[in-house]
Amino acid sequence: MPRNAGGKEIAEIIPKKCIGCELCLAECPVDAIVMESGVARIDAEKCIGCGKCFDVCPAGAVIFEKPRRKRAAAKKAGPSGDYQGVAVFIEVQKGRGADVSWELIGKARELAGKLGTKVSGFLLGNKVASVAKEAVAYGCDIVYMMDKPVLQTYLSRVYGKALVQLCQQVKPEVLLLGATPLGRDVSSVVATRLGTGLTADCTGLDIDTERRLLLMTRPTFGGSIMATILCQKERPQMSTVRPRVMKMPERDPERQGEILGIDFEPPQEELPRVIEFIPEAAEGDGMDITRVSALVVLGKGACNARSLPLLEELAGLLGGTVACSRAVVEAGFLPYLRQVGQTGKTVAPKVYIGVGVSGAVQHLVGMQSSEKIVAINTDRNAPLVQIADYALIGDYQEIVPQLLEGIKSRMRSR
Amino acid sequence: MHVVCCIKQVPDTTQVKIDPETNTLVRAGVESIVNPYDLVATEVAVQLVEKYGGKVTVISMGPSQAEAALRECLSLGADEAILLSDRAFAGADTWVTSYTLSRAIVKIAETDPVDIIICGKQAIDGDTAQTGPGLATWLDYNQFTYVAKIMGVENDTIKVRREVEGGSEIITGKFPVLLTVELELTTVRYACLPELVRSLRQEVRVWGARDIDALPERLGLKGSPTSVRQIFAPPVRTGGLVFDMGEDKGKALTDFLDTFFEKEAGLLSTITSEKQE
Repeated sequence: MPRNAGGKEIAEIIPKKCIGCELCLAECPVDAIVMESGVARIDAEKCIGCGKCFDVCPAGAVIFEKPRRKRAAAKKAGPSGDYQGVAVFIEVQKGRGADVSWELIGKARELAGKLGTKVSGFLLGNKVASVAKEAVAYGCDIVYMMDKPVLQTYLSRVYGKALVQLCQQVKPEVLLLGATPLGRDVSSVVATRLGTGLTADCTGLDIDTERRLLLMTRPTFGGSIMATILCQKERPQMSTVRPRVMKMPERDPERQGEILGIDFEPPQEELPRVIEFIPEAAEGDGMDITRVSALVVLGKGACNARSLPLLEELAGLLGGTVACSRAVVEAGFLPYLRQVGQTGKTVAPKVYIGVGVSGAVQHLVGMQSSEKIVAINTDRNAPLVQIADYALIGDYQEIVPQLLEGIKSRMRSR
Repeated sequence: MHVVCCIKQVPDTTQVKIDPETNTLVRAGVESIVNPYDLVATEVAVQLVEKYGGKVTVISMGPSQAEAALRECLSLGADEAILLSDRAFAGADTWVTSYTLSRAIVKIAETDPVDIIICGKQAIDGDTAQTGPGLATWLDYNQFTYVAKIMGVENDTIKVRREVEGGSEIITGKFPVLLTVELELTTVRYACLPELVRSLRQEVRVWGARDIDALPERLGLKGSPTSVRQIFAPPVRTGGLVFDMGEDKGKALTDFLDTFFEKEAGLLSTITSEKQE
């Protein structure tokens, strides 16, 4: 162990491991840690060797070996108190329950099993009794429904107030919402009002059964690391999850569950007004790239008007459509709606075929949950080629026509 | 019209690399930039003030180096800049961040009432999109997230187009209002020389916890409801089969198709059956 001039055994930071989260900065009682070019550094002369930075570092970047008193017995199990059960916010889209809500009910059942508790649905909308029945079929034990004309259209204030009221009445220990535009918007309002923790875009949810805590895992830093987040003291523990991340549960129309109507008083103040809804313009084949099973994705290397029909044909053959990387949108070649990646859409098709896509980190985070990845690229070292299940190295203009022929003849003979 | 922009200095995630040996994030030496969404927020604010008159104040919470990010926003035409920097702020999650920003805005509004707050839709390091809506909630402002177009301002009412599931909606609401903006809303200008010079000369005020009258128990790491339990490298997809057309084109392709149709037969039949539905 290194010592400083005062003879104290000090902590050290491994710059290569530091992720620059600044948690140690906040924890250090003597201000001995500073940030330098993105990583933390400990001032040896200020350090008193307390080891708090070591305890708090999530990246294991602090070296500290001084034997210390054992920490006072681990904090008591997270007191969920009178908060019980796993709740799912059921989002209504075009009068029907959103797929992501059903996916979350499936996950909620698994979590509730581990906690030995029930799954409830929080349903807001206008004329949504049939959606409540669906929620039961997908796995809710009980649905709390606010069925009011004022809930026909989403407004942050109105939905925020309604959901806060349900949380206060029902007191769930966990609340899950879809990471849709609506879900992300309302979840922040509710978490802020209730003073509880919210973790966005989780890709994994589990339970620490000993402490009755929700383990919320999400990608961060543009998908280059995963973090597991806890909300130890406040309830409900809130999390949003993107569509198609969790598995769709089996629908059972015979399932029994309770549906409870709850009264709601809308806020009194003057509210914003939605003047008009403009549906997404059907461009090209009008297919939603987040919903199809097969995607042919154009990268910078395939930004060529002549090859587009071929690639569309390939996609059509597999029952899918074309999408693209950011560079292709920036070149004005395909519309933004077709963009896959961090600033575009997250997709997880059964088959992803990248044509001339190099695979920058920002693109990969938007597609790495695809079931099978095929990369067609001249560059053997392109990042997408590195992670692809099948890589075809060569000029796509030669490969794609042959591929089309090959697939067609094999499909005919099947 | 007084517009406040909340901006964040972030590591340039395009430069973040993974150490192939330890499989961990290499953060050292990565450049810091203004979150791209926040540059759009600033640009939109400046355009609004150019059109309707008033001033733009940019604020940021972060370490002292974040001053550089604020100066960049000044060079785009923002009038004033305030850095919220205090050791007590470090380690904040989104709940605490939005609380801290709300205290600063309450203070700003004491001398200069705020009409519009503009935030980027999300930051590229955390991607949570929670701080903007949280801030609006603390302040009890109207909030319009995912704004793709500002249609106009009339007296104390703003009309915007925002992205929603399955399309977009046109919505109007009264000041004070908070907007979070999409990247495609506008193109960020290049700073001109006089503005660059001004941005370097101008004072960036620094406020600490005491200046904004914030409750200490709601600040920083200790005030945060969420905590990071652990971090780890994402599951790595290891590469699969490589078919190189450089050698024997026809054979490589046939090999690929044979393998693909054999190994992925199940997958292909689900796809084609869905296609027929």
